Amino acid sequence: MVEAVGATKSFGDVVAVSDVSFQIGSGVTAILGPNGAGKSTLFRMLCGLTQPSTGTVTVLGRNAGTDREIRGRIGLAPQQDALFDRLSARTFVALAAETHGVVEVDTRTRDALERVELDVDDPKPVGAFSKGMRQRVKLAAALVNDPDVLVLDEPLTGLDPVQRQRMITLFGELAERGKCLLVSSHVLDEVARLGSNVLVIAQGRLAAAGDYRSLRDRMDDRPHRVRVGTDRPQLLAGALVERGNARGVTVLEGAVIVDVDDIDRFGRIIAPLTVELGLRLDELVPLDDDLESVFRYLVERRR
Amino acid sequence: MNRSVSSVRAVLITHRLLVRQLLTRGRLLALLSLGAVVVLAAVGVSASAEVEDAARTIIEVMDGLGLILVVPIVSLVFASAALGDLREDGTLVYLWLRPMDRLSVVTGAYLAALTVSVPLTVLVLGCAAIVGGATAEGVVATVVATVFGVLAYSGVFVLLGIAIRNSIIWGLAYVLLWEGLFAGFSEPIGNVAVRGYARSLLANLSEIDLGSAAEAKTSTALFVCVMVAVGSLAAAAIRLERMDVA
Repeated sequence: MVEAVGATKSFGDVVAVSDVSFQIGSGVTAILGPNGAGKSTLFRMLCGLTQPSTGTVTVLGRNAGTDREIRGRIGLAPQQDALFDRLSARTFVALAAETHGVVEVDTRTRDALERVELDVDDPKPVGAFSKGMRQRVKLAAALVNDPDVLVLDEPLTGLDPVQRQRMITLFGELAERGKCLLVSSHVLDEVARLGSNVLVIAQGRLAAAGDYRSLRDRMDDRPHRVRVGTDRPQLLAGALVERGNARGVTVLEGAVIVDVDDIDRFGRIIAPLTVELGLRLDELVPLDDDLESVFRYLVERRR
Repeated sequence: MNRSVSSVRAVLITHRLLVRQLLTRGRLLALLSLGAVVVLAAVGVSASAEVEDAARTIIEVMDGLGLILVVPIVSLVFASAALGDLREDGTLVYLWLRPMDRLSVVTGAYLAALTVSVPLTVLVLGCAAIVGGATAEGVVATVVATVFGVLAYSGVFVLLGIAIRNSIIWGLAYVLLWEGLFAGFSEPIGNVAVRGYARSLLANLSEIDLGSAAEAKTSTALFVCVMVAVGSLAAAAIRLERMDVA
């Protein structure tokens, strides 16, 4: 349904998206990447809002920027918070329906708002809504034309945990109906719940693509750095090196900084080892478990 | 399933949305204040003992304040904001990523700007002309010159609104320097400025000579004003098709 072939987008000297290629069919595909990775630019290219500098990006085989009919088959919830603030949610979503050529505007507007659990009869302007409610207004507007392809840029931002789960369930239902959903996020755990297909974008490049589980395994396989707080760091450091439990160790400020290949195995051996050595284990802190380091690892591994 | 919106429907939807967006209290108050200045000037003309020919003087005031200041500035404020505000605040995507042709969106925006600008300027300048002692021909000339001036300027400023950022600042520079200053000094520039054609309508229809910068025939002036609007809207539609949307 959606295809990118060698898509690159530059803004002056800044390359926002670099030589990205992929094909996506129906179902939920999560686009994972840190802030500024190029996810939104990629989405804008998909929707035709900006044309790639080189390469092609097509939706249902056509360019949304120049093909009027195809624009009617896309639903976009953009990342930016801008809405027509003086309109009520109902008027805003009805406007989306009308501009999409929907025939039963009232019925479809009501359906879309109910799906995102917003009050159809709420007269308040959307400018007075909370961030989470505004996010749901955008989702309702994206859903109202029953699009074949839904492009949702960070759609769960600002939602409470219950709403997040409901939206994720809704995405799953739409996927089961054969829709193609592209959902971006910079939260790893969120992506795990979204679906099995994942594209990882980092520094404008496609760092990894495929099934979430295999990707997660690859992430877990990377070298890890852990700080182990103990009352006798030299003794622990020596034991870890001697027994081959660490790639490298550094004693720093009353703790041992340990580089390990298998974080799960290390987690299993560290407590028995400290007991065996008669040490006190104060803390066990992963130092590189943030998303940035995961993305950096995937990008470096790709090179 | 047909997922396109007809051109007429797209114009109507865009127009309805943007009229609502354009009508803000701040804008209306600022522009009515500007209009009040012109009306006060007209009152001054009618009340002044030094004015020998009030009918002529008020037409000169309509030219000097109305056509050079009120008409272009009111047009600028509403027409540049019609799509320009949407572009600046990121809501343009809600009209852009739709199965509607670009010319319809631009036309809807243009008509929305006219819906606000034409009554406002005609009311202010028409009242000023009457209060200032214009003849019936003078009042008609003021209204016609105002309407066609707004038609032309609004086309230009709809284009400006989506062509560049900070369109109000660039538009003001254009109004004050090109239309206000250079067009008055140089005949070649006057030929490519809207002001000259609006002045020609005012001069021809009121039968009051406003000088060499107002010598186009009435039919020519009407045609040029309409063509400026049509050409600008066509350019705006092309720009909308090709622009990057945030």
